[in-house]
Amino acid sequence: MTRTEFLNKLKAGLSDLPASAIADIVADYETHFADGAAAGRTEAEVAQALGDPERLARELRTEAGMKRWEDSKTPSSAVTAVFAVIGLGALDILVLLPIVMAIAGTLVGFFFGAVGAFIGGGALFAAGPFMGLPGGAAASLLGGLGLMAASVTVAALTAAVTIWFVNGIVWYARLHYRLLKPALNVQSA
Amino acid sequence: MPEPIDIQLKKGVLGLCVLAVLARRENYAYEIASLLSGAIGMGEGTIYPLMRRMQTDGLVETYLVESSSGPSRKYYRLTPAGHQALKAQSDEWRGFARAVDALLEPIAEPAEPQPVNEA
Repeated sequence: MTRTEFLNKLKAGLSDLPASAIADIVADYETHFADGAAAGRTEAEVAQALGDPERLARELRTEAGMKRWEDSKTPSSAVTAVFAVIGLGALDILVLLPIVMAIAGTLVGFFFGAVGAFIGGGALFAAGPFMGLPGGAAASLLGGLGLMAASVTVAALTAAVTIWFVNGIVWYARLHYRLLKPALNVQSA
Repeated sequence: MPEPIDIQLKKGVLGLCVLAVLARRENYAYEIASLLSGAIGMGEGTIYPLMRRMQTDGLVETYLVESSSGPSRKYYRLTPAGHQALKAQSDEWRGFARAVDALLEPIAEPAEPQPVNEA
């Protein structure tokens, strides 16, 4: 494999990363080829010693996804991290999928339940006093406030559990990836 | 092709080896990769994902050194957390290696721990 072929495969594997991150990574490998040439090695020798660019790209992408998750706990970075981990093949996804789906489904259910209860509480607070509900206007106002407060609590707890859950997946995958999925010189193709 | 145990061992101690190499001398990635591929037969390309992970974990940091020939070069050095990790992991490794060595001894007498020479 030539230098250009190696770098093109690497770039193709990294294509969903931000342009600056790709440039950063590619610069590392370009320097490596330059250093290799300075040490009197051919492009083919350097490419061979570096290993499979597609596999390296997967590993680098996972690392970038996990860093993004650690930097900012947003839903999109959670999705990126989890999919990067799956793409790596570090998780036995067929075994874990039912468990992950069940937990994720429960969390989504809690979240929408909380949103619904919040809206319901708001409606009770706003409209209840005029509807002549049993207990009078004060009961409607207090009940509505209580319902909204409770739903905010549930939503916050759901968010906390979700963050903990994604952290757990990332931790598990990294642990297993480090020990069981080496990118050593197994790919001499 | 190496045996699976060989690969797993190497992968497990790769981070420790990088910490040890950087503790001797601040260095750039090509040199680290050459040292480690020579010493423990690591694929050279693996160094870059590993260095990024160690940077994310706060064990190493980078700085640029101006070069008279060509662009400036990226060097790596250990952070205080990296020094701590090296200390903890090398203690762990030595204890583990001693225990395995003791088990590999054919004679069933309690093996005296051999002092390990610092390289």
